[in-house]
Amino acid sequence: MSEQKMIYLQPTPVRIWHWLNALGIVTLCLTGAQIRFPEYLSMFGSYKTAILLHNTAGIVVAVSFSLWFFYYKLIANTLLKLYVPNREELQHGLLRQAFFYFFRYFRGDPSPHHATPDNKFNPMQKSAYLAIMFVLMPLVSLTGILLMNVTPMRELVILSGGLKFLVTGHFLLASSLCAFLFTHVYLATLGHSPMAHIKPMWTGWEEAEEHVEVKEQDRN
Amino acid sequence: MKTEIIKWTFRLLPALALLAAASIALATDAGGPGYSYGGTAGKSGNCLDCHGNAKGIGDRYFIDPVKYGHTSHARIGCPACHDTVGRGHPGDQLVPAKTGCLECHGDKAAEYARTPHAANASCGDCHDPHRVNAPNEISGQEMNRMCASCHKKESMAAKHARWLPQADLHLDMLPCTTCHTGSKNYVINLYIIKREGDRRKGVFRVADFAELEKIAAGKDIRSIIDRNGDNYISLAELGLFNRNPAYGHLRLQGVLTPETVTHNFEILQNRWDCTFCHASGPGAMQTSFIALPEKSGAFRRVAVEKGAVLDTLNGPPDFYLTGASRNGTLNNIGLAIIAGGMVMPVGHGFLRFLTRKNRKGKEHQS
Repeated sequence: MSEQKMIYLQPTPVRIWHWLNALGIVTLCLTGAQIRFPEYLSMFGSYKTAILLHNTAGIVVAVSFSLWFFYYKLIANTLLKLYVPNREELQHGLLRQAFFYFFRYFRGDPSPHHATPDNKFNPMQKSAYLAIMFVLMPLVSLTGILLMNVTPMRELVILSGGLKFLVTGHFLLASSLCAFLFTHVYLATLGHSPMAHIKPMWTGWEEAEEHVEVKEQDRN
Repeated sequence: MKTEIIKWTFRLLPALALLAAASIALATDAGGPGYSYGGTAGKSGNCLDCHGNAKGIGDRYFIDPVKYGHTSHARIGCPACHDTVGRGHPGDQLVPAKTGCLECHGDKAAEYARTPHAANASCGDCHDPHRVNAPNEISGQEMNRMCASCHKKESMAAKHARWLPQADLHLDMLPCTTCHTGSKNYVINLYIIKREGDRRKGVFRVADFAELEKIAAGKDIRSIIDRNGDNYISLAELGLFNRNPAYGHLRLQGVLTPETVTHNFEILQNRWDCTFCHASGPGAMQTSFIALPEKSGAFRRVAVEKGAVLDTLNGPPDFYLTGASRNGTLNNIGLAIIAGGMVMPVGHGFLRFLTRKNRKGKEHQS
């Protein structure tokens, strides 16, 4: 018989960062949609309100991203361990996790990965977050900062290929982040219960099972 | 017999008068499109012999013959406005009279007189009648220089920044008249801008005729963009200009310009709403021109293929009007990416629903 064990998976700074980011990114997606398609969308009232809200949310997310980087790299010092997949994960872990999501999950088999504070993400999560946090987020933030300051940063705008190139990049990167948002929220419901992965991001604590932990230790 | 001749003369008089009027009308049309006073030849008498010589007459009384020659005023000639210049000029020491602008431009003057501007600036404070050009012949920067002689750029930037996001960008890129006149139609004029001095560090400003003439190497400066010389800029020609490494120091600056400029210079209530420009509809960004400088300082416009500013690959890389100049193909790519993000929730979620029995009772075994 399995015994329930609670593990402290998400420290407070991470949880604050996550929900701030979530609110910021949803705001950015919605205001961004109104800014690009003003004749169809007006949920934030005037165009100017949408611009100001978009700029504010953009600054909040960019600062929050910097804090995330600062926390994981300099305080917790687990940035690379948590987010960069190792050789084994790339060679076998990715396929194993994909096989679980697209086949074994439907049979009711358990997930091959079990989160611990030192190894929170499965190989697919690691690869996705690596692309998102190290490529998409910095690029969407940088293009956004340039688009917010076209006159003072004109030389950088020209150097980066021009305003149109920046807008194109910003839009496509933002579309990709928006697409990720849907997948991210859905995957978060794939725990042993729909709220199993969502609740720890609010409380910090996740239910783990004793026999599972033993299995993990045996494997290592 | 005598009475018969008189009778016929009176019968023919109206026909003769009509013939004379038609001849005059045909003669005056010869001056070119847009003007009704014919050409400039002989209209200014000998005035420019002295007043067209900067060294001889001095800066105060110098009239640049090239710039003056381009104005519509040159077609009515100097004596039309300065009619008191006598044979004794300049030895008689009399200051020649000047005709008031109202005599010809009464409608504009009446419109202007109703504005607060009229109490502070007369026509001559903004327009030099000896070098004045039509609104579509001057650059946005030049238009703004007229306004900036009273409205200092710094204070205007500060005032606009109180409500306008990126006020500095708006003031740099738009003529004041884009917002402060009641034009119904707007076009995009694309000016060739060039770095001042050193290729890498100089500030960009609108290239003048001499600079472009040098780059064109003896050909018409239009050939810098209009490769096939058909007086029309296709998307392909625009793209070749933008990507040409030899023109690395040149760029196109797009300026949203009103087609007609009124003289009311008012604060229009609908301009507080950003969507006046930023959601102006798909038709608004379709018409654009390349504005090329001429020797006279005026600009001539060459039509560009419809919708060029929206084209991501060939259009001007620095022109983008948020919410209005978005590219349709990119919209579809973006929406496809977002729809791609829905594949997992929808597809996987559907199979998850169908196989839900397999996971029953295993909630704590994952």
